[in-house]
Amino acid sequence: MKWASVLGITVVVMLITLYEWPKMTKNLKKEKWAFVTLTMAGWLLAVLLVFLPSLPGPNDLIDMIFKPFGKLLQE
Amino acid sequence: MIEKGKISAQQMAIMMYPVIVGTGIISVPAVSAEYAKNDLWISPLWAALIGFVAVYIAFQLHKFYPGQTIMQYTEHIMGRTLGKILGFLYLVFYIQMNGGGIRIYAEFVTGVLLTKTPIIVVISTIVLVCAFAVRGGVEVVARVAQFFFPLYVLSMVVIIVLLFPDLNYKNIFPILADGLIPSMRGAIVPGGWFAEFILVSVLFPYLTNVEKGRKWGMISVFSVMMTFMVTNLLILFVFGETTSRYLYPLFTASRYISIADFLQKLDPVIMAMWVAGSFIKFSVVFYALVICTAQWLNLSNYRPIVFPLGFLTILFSIWGVPSKMVESEYNFIVFPVYSFFVQILIPLLLLSIAFFRRRRPALR
Repeated sequence: MKWASVLGITVVVMLITLYEWPKMTKNLKKEKWAFVTLTMAGWLLAVLLVFLPSLPGPNDLIDMIFKPFGKLLQE
Repeated sequence: MIEKGKISAQQMAIMMYPVIVGTGIISVPAVSAEYAKNDLWISPLWAALIGFVAVYIAFQLHKFYPGQTIMQYTEHIMGRTLGKILGFLYLVFYIQMNGGGIRIYAEFVTGVLLTKTPIIVVISTIVLVCAFAVRGGVEVVARVAQFFFPLYVLSMVVIIVLLFPDLNYKNIFPILADGLIPSMRGAIVPGGWFAEFILVSVLFPYLTNVEKGRKWGMISVFSVMMTFMVTNLLILFVFGETTSRYLYPLFTASRYISIADFLQKLDPVIMAMWVAGSFIKFSVVFYALVICTAQWLNLSNYRPIVFPLGFLTILFSIWGVPSKMVESEYNFIVFPVYSFFVQILIPLLLLSIAFFRRRRPALR
């Protein structure tokens, strides 16, 4: 089941690439790099989340920083 | 410039309205009633002050650096390295905010209507639609907003009119029984939403007439405030003391509508309204995110990164998000402070630095 999810994620990422890649002309070098980096980051994160669904996210960090202030307001 | 489209100031106001109302309207009576009890209708007044401040900050900053978005002048004001770091903070904030908003939307849709659909399907479909709108550019997003706005207002009016027989006006008393403090505390969470008006700083450079930008920004804040006040009053008149017990009061109220056993079950109207509003909201925030990311990376075209960023937004609506987002501590306690910090305090700091730099140009 998990490997099926990975396959599904890979298919989605490939579809995005197939849709977007031909549209980028040769002089858009930077854009290609940005596209590849963001897409790979998305793929990696998605696969990580399939195997470790309780991976601590940015929300947990924000929780840690801002919760004391938030609690202060509720008093 | 990265975006060649132009929008009018009115279109900007129409785009910004659903950014706050879109996801807010369904839960605003409950979150305000939690602290304000039956003074919940006063809370939007306090919360809107933050919205006015946000529009003012954005307009003043744009006057110092005309034709630039918040991403560009952050770099000019803070210097390259610090500007990039602050910019990254903004990007993380907006992708997180949009992810959280989409999560709340999807929880509502799967909770009351599509109970057997996996939540990821609801999330992915709305992001896909938004991505196509964003790919079309600022003009497309503006016209989508313009198209849905009248329908949105109309369905709102219909619901209000049809609820008239169920209203109990005595619920409003006692007014201000415990002074102003409870209504101010009820404004904390909506205040965090009003801070999102700083997004006008991404739209100002694309206005045909920037001078009108401030006026229409203020009009937009004012209409959001009025919408929230009317909604809160309506829900107060229907539910009275028990308002805070409902997760989605407006939706529950719409189920009460029954005119002569003929006009019933109007909850799909609210649902349609909510989906349309959320769609515009996510599109506008998504658009701002894409433009900011492209400027952060110094790209000359933002279209290639729309879909990868959409994919990341989907992940951010799942990654480390509490399972009942709308009732969570994050939504109630953490997000308002986070939002205020990123969207009001940091721009205010930028504005004051820009102000002093402008006064003493010799120091530059």
